[in-house]
Amino acid sequence: MRTIWIAAGLLALAAPLLLPERHLAVYVLLALTAAVAVGVSMLMGYAGQVSLGQASFYAIGAYAAGLLAVHGLPPLVGLLAAPLVAAAAALLVGAPLLRLRGHHLAFATLAMQLILLGLLSRGEWAGGAIGLQGIPRFSAGGAELRDDRGYAYLALAVLASVVLIYRNVVVSRVGRAMRAAATGEAAAAACGVPVGRYRLAVFALSAAFAGLAGGVYAFYLGYLSPGSFPVLLSIEYVVMAAVGGLGTIAGPLVGATVITLLVQALTALGTQPGMPGYAPAVLSYAVYGLVLVVAVLYLPRGIVPSIHSVLGRGKR
Amino acid sequence: MTELIGYLVTGLGIGAGFALVGSGLVVTYRVTRVVDFAQGGFAVLAAMLTASLLSAGLPHGAAETLGVVAGAGAGLLVGVAAIGRPGTAPGASLIVTLGLGLLAYAVEILIWGDQPRSFPGLGGAVEIAGARVPTHYLLIVAVTGPVFAALAVFFARTDLGKALSACASNPYAARVVGIDVRRMGLLSFALGGALGGLAGVLTTPVQQVTFDSDVALIVNGFAAAVLGGLTRPGAALAGGLLLGVAQTVVAGYGGGAYRLEVALVVLLTVMIAQGVRTPPAQEATA
Repeated sequence: MRTIWIAAGLLALAAPLLLPERHLAVYVLLALTAAVAVGVSMLMGYAGQVSLGQASFYAIGAYAAGLLAVHGLPPLVGLLAAPLVAAAAALLVGAPLLRLRGHHLAFATLAMQLILLGLLSRGEWAGGAIGLQGIPRFSAGGAELRDDRGYAYLALAVLASVVLIYRNVVVSRVGRAMRAAATGEAAAAACGVPVGRYRLAVFALSAAFAGLAGGVYAFYLGYLSPGSFPVLLSIEYVVMAAVGGLGTIAGPLVGATVITLLVQALTALGTQPGMPGYAPAVLSYAVYGLVLVVAVLYLPRGIVPSIHSVLGRGKR
Repeated sequence: MTELIGYLVTGLGIGAGFALVGSGLVVTYRVTRVVDFAQGGFAVLAAMLTASLLSAGLPHGAAETLGVVAGAGAGLLVGVAAIGRPGTAPGASLIVTLGLGLLAYAVEILIWGDQPRSFPGLGGAVEIAGARVPTHYLLIVAVTGPVFAALAVFFARTDLGKALSACASNPYAARVVGIDVRRMGLLSFALGGALGGLAGVLTTPVQQVTFDSDVALIVNGFAAAVLGGLTRPGAALAGGLLLGVAQTVVAGYGGGAYRLEVALVVLLTVMIAQGVRTPPAQEATA
C-alpha cells in the first residue's frame, strides 16, 4: 500500500515536467477537483451526508480570493483567506441546515447553491453575470506564478495538504467518533460523541478544502463567473467521491482521476471535426449519469474498497 | 387591485404546475421512501415530445396525451433502475435517480438540441375583474383540480390506492397480506412520471422548457411537496399554489429576477422548521 502511495506521489510530482504544456490545464483542474472530492468523500463517509452544493464552497473560495486580490491585497492573503471564508460560510449555513437528513439535506444544499448563484449573478460587487475580471496572477514574496507548470505544482501542493489533513483527521479520536456517528448516530450519541458539533466541523473542513481549491482556481484562470460553478459541478464531486469509495483516502483521488480523464478523453472525441457542437455536453452528461447509476448499483462501496477486498485485504 | 388579481390567477396556474411535479414526488415517496430526482425530467421529456408531435402535425389532445404517457413510461424505467434490484437502500435509489436525470440531459440534447422549446396552448385571454389573463392559465387550473381530486379518491377509496399506501407505512405487513411491494413501487414511479409529464405538458405553453428546466421544476416541486412532509398530495397542492402565487406576486411587483430564490427560501425555512420539530428518531426502522 505504501509503495503505491509513493509511486503515485512521484508520478504526480514528475507529471508537470513530462506533460506537454497544452495538457497541463487538465492536470491543474484534476488536482483541484480531487481536493474538493476529498472533502466530499469525507463529508459523505464520515458525516453520512450527501451535499449537492459543494461547488458553492469552491465558488466562495474562488470569489473570496479573487475579490481580495482585485481590491489590491496580496494574492497570498487571498489564497489563505479562501478556505477560511468558505469554512465560515459553511458554519453559518451548516448550523441550521445540518439538522436535516438524507434527501432533505441534499435538496437544502442544492437550494443553497442556487441561491448563491443567483446572488453572484446579480451582485454588482461580484461582477454580476459577466463575472469578476482582472484577477492578478498568483505571487508570493515577489515571485509571480505565470506558467501552467507553476500552477500545476501549486494545485498539487493544495491537494497534498488536503490529503494530509484528511489522513490526520481520520486517524484521530474525532475521526473514529465520526465514523461511529455515521454508522449509528444514536449509539454514538449515547457513547458521548457530540454528533451535531462533529458533523458541523466536518462540513466546515470539507468546505475549507473546496475553498482552498477555489482560491487557486481564481488565480489560475484570472477570471470568475457564476457559470463556472453550475449545480452539475457539485454533482460531479459526488460522483467522483462515490465512485472512488466513500470514507477512504485513495477513493476520491482515484474517482476524480478516472472520471476527469474519461470526460477529457470523451470531450476530445466530441470536439473532433465533424462532430456536432453539442457532442461534448452530451457525452459528459451521459458519462456522469451512467457512471453514477452503475457505480451505485454494482459497486456500492466504490472502486478502492472493492479493489481492497479483491486483493484479500478486508481492511477498510 | 386589478394587477393583483392578474398575478393571483397566473400564480395559481404556475403553482398548479409545481403542485403536479410535487405530487409526483409525493406519490413515489409515499410508496417507496425514495425521492425521485428525475421527477423534473419527466416534465421536460413530455413537453419536448409534445412539441415535436405537434409540429409533426398531430392534433392537440393526442400529442399532449402521448407526452404524458411518455412521462409515465420514463417514470417506470427510472423505477426499474432505482428500486428494481432487491436491497437497494432509499439513499442509493436517490443517487440512481440523480444519475438517470443526468443521463436524460444527454438523451434530450441528442434528440431536441439545447435550445428552449415551446408550443402553443389555449389562445386568447379572458378578463377577470378587470385583469386580462391568458386563457391557458385557466386551463392549467381546470385540469389540475380534477387530477388532485382523482388522486385523493384513488388513495382513499380504491383497493389499489390503499395497497400503495400500505407499502410505505409497513412494507413487511403489506407483503404478508399479499401485496407485491416491488410492483407497487414501480407503479408509483410510473404514476409520478405521468404527473410530472402532465405538469410539463400543461405549463410549457406559458413557460418555455430547456433540457435543464428540470432543476427549477424539481426544486419548486420539492418545496411544494415538503409542506406536507412529502406524504400528502393535498398538502403538495396547497404548497404548490401558495408558492406559485408568492412567486408571481414577487415577480409582478419588481422582483422578477428573484422568483426561484423565493421558492428556495420558502423551502429552506419549512424544511428547517420541520427538521427541528421532528428529531431523527426513526433511523433504526429504515
